[in-house]
Amino acid sequence: MPKDRPVDPRGPRFSAWMTTVILAIVLLTGWWRLLAAQTVLFAMCAFISLKLNPWGHVYRYAIQPRLTPTTEREEAAPLRFAQGVGFIFALIGTLGYATGLTTLGMVATGFALVAALLNAALGLCLGCEMYLVLRRYAPALARPQ
Amino acid sequence: MTGVWALLGALAVAGAIGVLLKVREGRISRRAASADLPAPVRDLLAPGVTLVQLSTTFCAPCRHAKVILRDLADRTDGLTHAELDVTNLPDVATKLGVMRTPTTLALTADGTEVLRVGGVPKRDSLIEALRPHLP
Repeated sequence: MPKDRPVDPRGPRFSAWMTTVILAIVLLTGWWRLLAAQTVLFAMCAFISLKLNPWGHVYRYAIQPRLTPTTEREEAAPLRFAQGVGFIFALIGTLGYATGLTTLGMVATGFALVAALLNAALGLCLGCEMYLVLRRYAPALARPQ
Repeated sequence: MTGVWALLGALAVAGAIGVLLKVREGRISRRAASADLPAPVRDLLAPGVTLVQLSTTFCAPCRHAKVILRDLADRTDGLTHAELDVTNLPDVATKLGVMRTPTTLALTADGTEVLRVGGVPKRDSLIEALRPHLP
């Protein structure tokens, strides 16, 4: 698995806002194909590289040049772990909506939205802080990469 | 229409979790000392009080906690900071009753737990709480 370099922490915050908006649209419209696309995006970032995140590119080319530069850097491992947690909820949500289990789809999407919003608004990574709990109750999911 | 309620519900839950975590962040708690510390923790104990910070690879705030605690230990006599990565030591975390990272335990040289802090510690309240146990 390739290792990503540390990133400007404002990039992931921007990306989390975009994810929050996408998940809110999914909840409002039940448009499961959009959720499926978000699921694929989560998977690419978690399992391949954060560089594949299109919001990261939007941030770098359109937003970062307008901001004051920062030397602060955030490690990539927590970010990728968070994308992995997002992937699981988004996958369950997509399967729920697509198979007619709409309530399951909504609940799973709702959880993903809660995590994305906390990340966007407060810079809080719920999955990362709760890693030990995840590891205890779902060892296979939380195995370190 | 259900979608609107689901969205409002998710926003409310996020708000509640956010408030709860902000309130609990850096809170100091005291618990009855457990008799036997896991070996990886015991190995870190130094004379005086040792701040043993439990971290994982996936924990972004652990870095902030490390900066604060290391600086505090450098400026304070009898206070040492040590970080223990429990990513691959879940049993240690379970045995200590630690569910989130960073969690910092303040331990005396004989392994008695003086206090513990969940989340990123607040420098002033932490040093205040530690003072009676420092030389």
